[in-house]
Amino acid sequence: MRDTVELLEAIGRDATLRRASPEVLARALKATDASPGLLELVANGDGTALTNELGLVDRYVEHMSQTGAHEESLLN
Amino acid sequence: MNTSNSASTSAPRGSITSVGMGITLGSHLTPIARNYIETADVVFAALSDHVVELWLERLNPEIRSLQPYYKPGKSRMKTYREWVEVMMTEVRAGKRVCAVFYGHPGIFAWSPHKVIEVARAEGYEAYMEPGISAEDCLYADLGIDPARFGCQHLEASQLLFFERNLDTTGHVILWQLGVVGDRSLGRFRTPDAYRELLTERLCQDYPADHEVIVYRAPTLPIEGPHIQRVALRDFTSAEYTGHETLVIPPAQALKPNAVWRARLDELDAIHGSGIEPAVTA
Repeated sequence: MRDTVELLEAIGRDATLRRASPEVLARALKATDASPGLLELVANGDGTALTNELGLVDRYVEHMSQTGAHEESLLN
Repeated sequence: MNTSNSASTSAPRGSITSVGMGITLGSHLTPIARNYIETADVVFAALSDHVVELWLERLNPEIRSLQPYYKPGKSRMKTYREWVEVMMTEVRAGKRVCAVFYGHPGIFAWSPHKVIEVARAEGYEAYMEPGISAEDCLYADLGIDPARFGCQHLEASQLLFFERNLDTTGHVILWQLGVVGDRSLGRFRTPDAYRELLTERLCQDYPADHEVIVYRAPTLPIEGPHIQRVALRDFTSAEYTGHETLVIPPAQALKPNAVWRARLDELDAIHGSGIEPAVTA
């Protein structure tokens, strides 16, 4: 089975796949022996299996405090 | 010769470079950012998607995620100061450090700027390399050119904390909607009521039925952008994960400024208007 993380990165730099339709992408992924979780995400938009396969955990995305919140003086 | 010996025996000077990972895995990482990551002694990472972090580990196994420093109820400013300190500890130890942040490291990110400021003040080399930001993706996916009508970007909470004037003749783009109205810095998501309050504030400047766009750029290349158009009054009921940005298109036409146009006429009378002369037969 193809390494999912490497495969995703490869798709991201492949001009023929980056904007491909879900159908085209699904065919290409099956041909590369993609994992069941990745196939499920592409086919149905359900990332549950991929999350379990890779042990994914949600990331916090805030890297900036709100200007005007407490500790504002520490911003500078 | 003595100078050469001195240089070869001295401890390596630490350095730090803040780089952007871009938003979409595989599509956005710049060559120079990739090289900083590959050649670093230590890589610190604050990314928006765990899959991207897993890929980064393959690029350089000396990765240290900054995610564990977050904690519900803990001020994020404390977290960000800890990030700066842990990165500077490695710089002071003589390491070549790379700090990787999703998107652009200098946009809506406090610690990349701060660590460069601190490192330079202590005499270390420190740089920032730009990355493709969510803002860049937004322009491409929504077909907005910020030069056409202008574009006003605000951290959403500022509309509730301060008296800010919105330019309704240009695009207004509001960020960090997930924590809008949070003054504690200890929450990662405020209840929908806070976004309803934001809607109430926006309705002071816009009609409630004004169409707005809820936008989210894709982090994985098998996904497309999330683009949902709703009436302003329905903004809080849109599909919402906490990673979205609110785009408010212009509500009014640009109004010609007669005073300054007249002043331009005066200058044109002296310097020429720049219009190609008409060809006479």
